[in-house]
Amino acid sequence: MMAEFELDCLGEVCPVPLVKAQKKIASMAVGDVLTVHIDHSCAMKNIPDWARKEGYNVEVEEVDDGEWDLIIEKNK
Amino acid sequence: MSENKTEAAPRPAKPKRKPKKSQLPVALLVFVLMVVVGILLRSRSSQVSMFWVFGGCFGFILQKARFCFTASMRDPVLTGTTTLTKAVLVAFAVSTIGFAAIKYSAFAGGQPIPGQSFVQPISFATVLGGVLFGIGMVIAGGCASGTLMRVGEGFAVNTLALVFFIIGSLWGAHDMGFWSVNFVANGKKVFLPDVFGWFGAVVFQLLLIFVLYIAADLWERKKLHITDDE
Amino acid sequence: MEEFWKKISKNRYYIQFFKNPFSYVTGAVLLALFNIAIFAYSGNPWGVTGTFANWGAWLYRLFGGNVDKWYYFSSASAQTTLENGFLNNTGSWQNIGIIFGALLATLLASQFKFKKIKSARQIVAAVCGGLLMGYGARLAGGCNIGALFSGIASMSLSGWVFAVSLFAGAFIGSKLLTKFFM
Repeated sequence: MMAEFELDCLGEVCPVPLVKAQKKIASMAVGDVLTVHIDHSCAMKNIPDWARKEGYNVEVEEVDDGEWDLIIEKNK
Repeated sequence: MSENKTEAAPRPAKPKRKPKKSQLPVALLVFVLMVVVGILLRSRSSQVSMFWVFGGCFGFILQKARFCFTASMRDPVLTGTTTLTKAVLVAFAVSTIGFAAIKYSAFAGGQPIPGQSFVQPISFATVLGGVLFGIGMVIAGGCASGTLMRVGEGFAVNTLALVFFIIGSLWGAHDMGFWSVNFVANGKKVFLPDVFGWFGAVVFQLLLIFVLYIAADLWERKKLHITDDE
Repeated sequence: MEEFWKKISKNRYYIQFFKNPFSYVTGAVLLALFNIAIFAYSGNPWGVTGTFANWGAWLYRLFGGNVDKWYYFSSASAQTTLENGFLNNTGSWQNIGIIFGALLATLLASQFKFKKIKSARQIVAAVCGGLLMGYGARLAGGCNIGALFSGIASMSLSGWVFAVSLFAGAFIGSKLLTKFFM
């Protein structure tokens, strides 16, 4: 069964969003999906960068001015 | 921080968002303002005006690339990624070649070599200063250039950090008499071309950067368990 | 008018150059080129924090303090810089330029947002981090730009020594961060 998780990192400063996302992903099962809410412009680059290197599917969605949702699928 | 766990629920329909308003008109306004300031500064001194232009370019590039010296030093240990570490090494390599050309052409023409004040004496103050700065930039979430860039991006945290950065600088300047007499004055300046010759110094430094680049890449592959079989 | 901006924001080249971020390596090459350019133009490479000490001195004067007796500001060139004032100081305008350049880049991407301080933890982190960076930069004679980037580019061994020290500091900082500031 696929589960969905959310991580609210609005207002958090680098590297907090990335470290939290890494911890969260590690606790999830293969097939689960994590959505990270961020408004730190560096995190919209370094989280996808890390996740793609891990081989996960990543989608970056700009939800508002300077706010993004990062949808990461732990597909392996 | 809130963490919601929704077990196997279908993704909820996205709430209807208000349409995003383009910030381009404001961007245009800021650009015009920057040009006007540049022209006004030119009447004061063309050099000041030119530094304003350079500053604008540095800020633009830093933000566009999200270039972060802090991450280049911090991420290998903290998150295992070295993308920025490798990028910083590229910046070192490219600038080394350009700097060497400028310095050598002055040297060969019998002129004093420019920028030698950046070849600093090595002492305990260099090491302690580096360690303190390293701790500070990770905690504050931005180095010197990163803090300025994030002030421009609208971060209140970094603006506060900038205020205390300035206070810390003043504090450091206040104590500099002690550090200069006891440590910096006894330090040795080492300009690599004096040791290896001009050509040797460039080759040595580029080789060092190359080795560090490969080490950084191997480190990342190990930490993130990246293998080539995919 | 609204239509016009909408049309621009869909333009391929707008998206490529102003909306999407540059790659880290693109940024690295551009920063290196501009550091070379400013070195060729002014005879000195890029630096950031030396100016912060001057800002501190000017602010201190505003509050009635006097730095003229301090060793750091006692040289003739330091005194001239202080006397000429903020408006004639190249480093000051360069630093403010960095702030405005970043602001412009963010606005052009239509991604500007005021980000308020979220917690007391962040205040403590910013205050301590700022003080440490300020003090450390004076000790080492520069920051990640003047002592590290420009130092290494100048083929000075001090740049490499500073790099190793920064790395050690970042390691300690990471431990502190995960322990106290997360």
